[in-house]
Amino acid sequence: MSQVLHPIEKTIIKLLKTAPDLAEEQIAEKTGLSIDQTRRGIEWLRLKSLATVSESEKSFVKLGANGIKAKQEGLPERKLLNLIASQPAPFSDLQKKLAGEINVAIANAKKNDWITIQKGETENIVSLKQNPGQTREEKMISYIAENKVAVDQIKDSATLESIKRRPDFLVIETTKSRTVSLSEQAKTIDTEKEDTGAIDVEADVPRVYAARTHPLKDTIDEIREVFVSLGFSEVMGNLAQPSFWNFDALFTPQDHPAREMQDTFYIKGKAAEKFASPTQIKRVSDSHKKGWKYDWNVDAAKKMVLRTHTTCVTIKYLAENKPDEARIFSLGRVFRNEKLSYKHLVEFNQVEGIVVGKNVSLRDLMGIQTEFYKKMGLYKIKFWPTFFPYTEPSLQTMVYNERLGKWVELFGMGIFRPEVTKPFGITRPVLAWGGGIERIAMLKYGLDDVREFYNNNLSWLRTASKCQ
Amino acid sequence: MPVVTLNLKRLEKLVGGKTCKSKIIESLPFLGLDIEEEAKDYIRVEYSPNRPDYATDVGIASGLQGLLGLKKGAEKLDIKKSAKSALIETNAATKKVRPHICGIIAKGGRLDDETIKQLIALQEDLHFGVGRRRKKASVGIHDLDKISLPLSYTVASRAHKFVPLAMNNEMSVEQILEKMDVGHDYGHLLKNQENAKKNTISFPPIINSALTTVSAKTKNLLVEVTGTDKNATEDTLAVVATTLHGLGSMLYDFKTDAKGSSQIFKTRSVTLDPVLVNQILGLKLAPSAICNHLKKCRLDAVPRGKKIICNIPRFRFDVFGPMDLVEEIALGYGIQNLTTSLPASTSVGQKNPVTKKLDQLSQIMTGLGFTETLNSSLTSKRVLYEATKRDSSGLIEVLESKSQEHTILRDSILPGLLENLSRNIHESYPQKLFETGTVFSKGSPIKESISLACLSAHKDTSFTEIKAALQSLLKTDSNIECSTKASENPIFAQGKTADVIVAGKKVGVIGEINLQVIENFKIRVPVSGFEIILSDFVLQG
Repeated sequence: MSQVLHPIEKTIIKLLKTAPDLAEEQIAEKTGLSIDQTRRGIEWLRLKSLATVSESEKSFVKLGANGIKAKQEGLPERKLLNLIASQPAPFSDLQKKLAGEINVAIANAKKNDWITIQKGETENIVSLKQNPGQTREEKMISYIAENKVAVDQIKDSATLESIKRRPDFLVIETTKSRTVSLSEQAKTIDTEKEDTGAIDVEADVPRVYAARTHPLKDTIDEIREVFVSLGFSEVMGNLAQPSFWNFDALFTPQDHPAREMQDTFYIKGKAAEKFASPTQIKRVSDSHKKGWKYDWNVDAAKKMVLRTHTTCVTIKYLAENKPDEARIFSLGRVFRNEKLSYKHLVEFNQVEGIVVGKNVSLRDLMGIQTEFYKKMGLYKIKFWPTFFPYTEPSLQTMVYNERLGKWVELFGMGIFRPEVTKPFGITRPVLAWGGGIERIAMLKYGLDDVREFYNNNLSWLRTASKCQ
Repeated sequence: MPVVTLNLKRLEKLVGGKTCKSKIIESLPFLGLDIEEEAKDYIRVEYSPNRPDYATDVGIASGLQGLLGLKKGAEKLDIKKSAKSALIETNAATKKVRPHICGIIAKGGRLDDETIKQLIALQEDLHFGVGRRRKKASVGIHDLDKISLPLSYTVASRAHKFVPLAMNNEMSVEQILEKMDVGHDYGHLLKNQENAKKNTISFPPIINSALTTVSAKTKNLLVEVTGTDKNATEDTLAVVATTLHGLGSMLYDFKTDAKGSSQIFKTRSVTLDPVLVNQILGLKLAPSAICNHLKKCRLDAVPRGKKIICNIPRFRFDVFGPMDLVEEIALGYGIQNLTTSLPASTSVGQKNPVTKKLDQLSQIMTGLGFTETLNSSLTSKRVLYEATKRDSSGLIEVLESKSQEHTILRDSILPGLLENLSRNIHESYPQKLFETGTVFSKGSPIKESISLACLSAHKDTSFTEIKAALQSLLKTDSNIECSTKASENPIFAQGKTADVIVAGKKVGVIGEINLQVIENFKIRVPVSGFEIILSDFVLQG
């Protein structure tokens, strides 16, 4: 199959067939293409092995300020010769006319044996000895003129050197240039062949970015789908919650460190009035009194907080519905009053799954976990015991991260304590598990800094792709 | 969660039974200890705050011995009788300020530098956890041989002087409270005690005296715990006493007034039904096996009829009832030995209708060329109100945020999107962003609504472009027709903004962003956008 060439490529090949080894700029100049078009064309040719590009340094010479002056008015010694061409002149006259150039003019003319200097009555008299034709230096100055001449094109390097010695006569510029030459194959291409209308389907094209949903949202959605496929239904709840549902209902004593302002966001001046039934409040109060042995205070339960977990949503759902059998999940933002770091956010997403049933056990909880992780593409998992204030027994899942080469902690799980379920009349075992979603998304997108999800950096949003 | 550093050689020796290092490291997680860092001669583990006995290697070694089957059942605390003078006398004045005090004497035992370091760490952990920052309980550990007994527990004046721990000179109570860090941290809790010769040994819960400082040369200890909560005070003493017992010390009674301290360490019994155990764990364990697993967790248990009687040592105050014992049995059985099972289910799962709706709207927004961003609900005054010129009268604030950028709850998504544009001015245009999420407003006590906002930023954007996008979104999603009614809104340019009206009701705002606002966000191209409160129409019903 014959190669399809872009018109730009054809133009460049055509030129290089007649004038091999040109710099990019020269190609642009001679073809009338823009420098960007030229560069793109050369890159395409290079990728197709039709051209080679060699980088080299090249020096150019052009006239400096004094050089330009000499080109217009002549060299100082030429000016001197012109002044004494018809008759000798006294030194002071010449000094007036040649001003700053007098010394150079006298020195050079004398060195070339063009003049004689004789002592007169009051001062030295300068007279012409011989008048030379155009000198080599003068020839070179008029040759360079307004142009930039490549140093390697100048053959008379001795003269170039002598002009260089004159201050400000010449400026030498060194530029890096990319010289392009055609490959043997390219030299045989017939650029005049009739255009078949074919285009170069193999060429690179400019990048466009698809509008898309946020990568973290995609992970959240994937998790939702997994829950739904395992028979779970989603429940939702508010982000701002009375302390009662976030803490008290979960048997967190009112003086527990987790309830302090340095861990939890309290909303200024906001307290809930109606948040639970009198029976619910009474029973929770009794559970605290019995278990933790202190006087439970209803005002502390009223304080509004930004929820620190999604468990407040699930416990409220269970308290209101008292299901005998249930598979539910809740997912959403939770808040912690933390210093931001590569592993801590003040606001992140959590998911929590709940199974209620007559005969459900810890082994079932582990089984559902295993199934969940499998569906998320995580196969190497194990369980370790841990502690959570409102579940007993409690476990945590460890997942092997191939990229980091170590076990990382993912979801926590357990069975709700009787101190949590009894006050709400929930009698069957409640299996619960959950954890931060960003952690899983970090594994999927290969991120080491959790803040990246909320930086909304367009270059990342436009190009992020999954690695696991 | 607290962390303890364990010297592996020392731990090996404490565990005994020729248990090798790798076996120990492998077993630690199955005690519920998370490995934080592993080095050649030490390991750092995180333990849960309800097991302060794991703050020392002695406690951890005891747990490992059980798990590995080297020692089973509870360690018995043998409290020996001591001289009549081993006594602390209280008086009425302390009852009002810090009423509870108890103590124990510990003689002999392994008291090297490493042990002392760990005891101090244990003490701090108890202060923080059970002691609730020393309020409920605080511990003092003293060199017994520097003390002449009996002690008296009483209040002193602010002018009372003694040499505080780690200091060289006498300071008054007043000076301690004002000049020392501990005074600042705990001064609000207060009060004081003295000994018989009028030498002060401790000023609980602030600081001990230099006189009774414990060092590697100390042979015998006096431990006193004071507090405002009787249970916490005694629980704390039980943890320290159990740890000292583990270190090989002989424990001696130390009386408060005439009452001996040995009754503090009485075990309590919990009756356990094997049916519950097997139901929760999904196993079929015989009562004798259950007892064995409990013993591996260093608890005593015997079958009685169809039930099991388990005796809980005083320091295991994390055990509330039978369910906590079920967890112990799981640990004794070995989590690694539990096989998984899948419960049968016929339930059909489904997403919440709100989620479904938001998914659908997000799809249309991306179809219209908008890329989704995610911003925090917590934001700053600068972004939400100042830079956008918006009305801040509905501001909802959180207390004592550690981050200046997260101090108030957003009542609109648009400001966050402008901030996103501001951070992406070096990226290629057009930039079209959208976000859905919760916005907060005043209500009883707070109203939460779900909102959708978008912005289009490029040199040719206009009201027309963004209104076309809005109408397309609502038409495609729910066949809703909307109109726009001229209005004023400081975030938008005058004469180029409107309210979004659906069925005669305002559901949002739309317009070209005000030039000053664009400048405030250092954006260099025109921006237009809209925000609609989905909860007010598409999410209703």
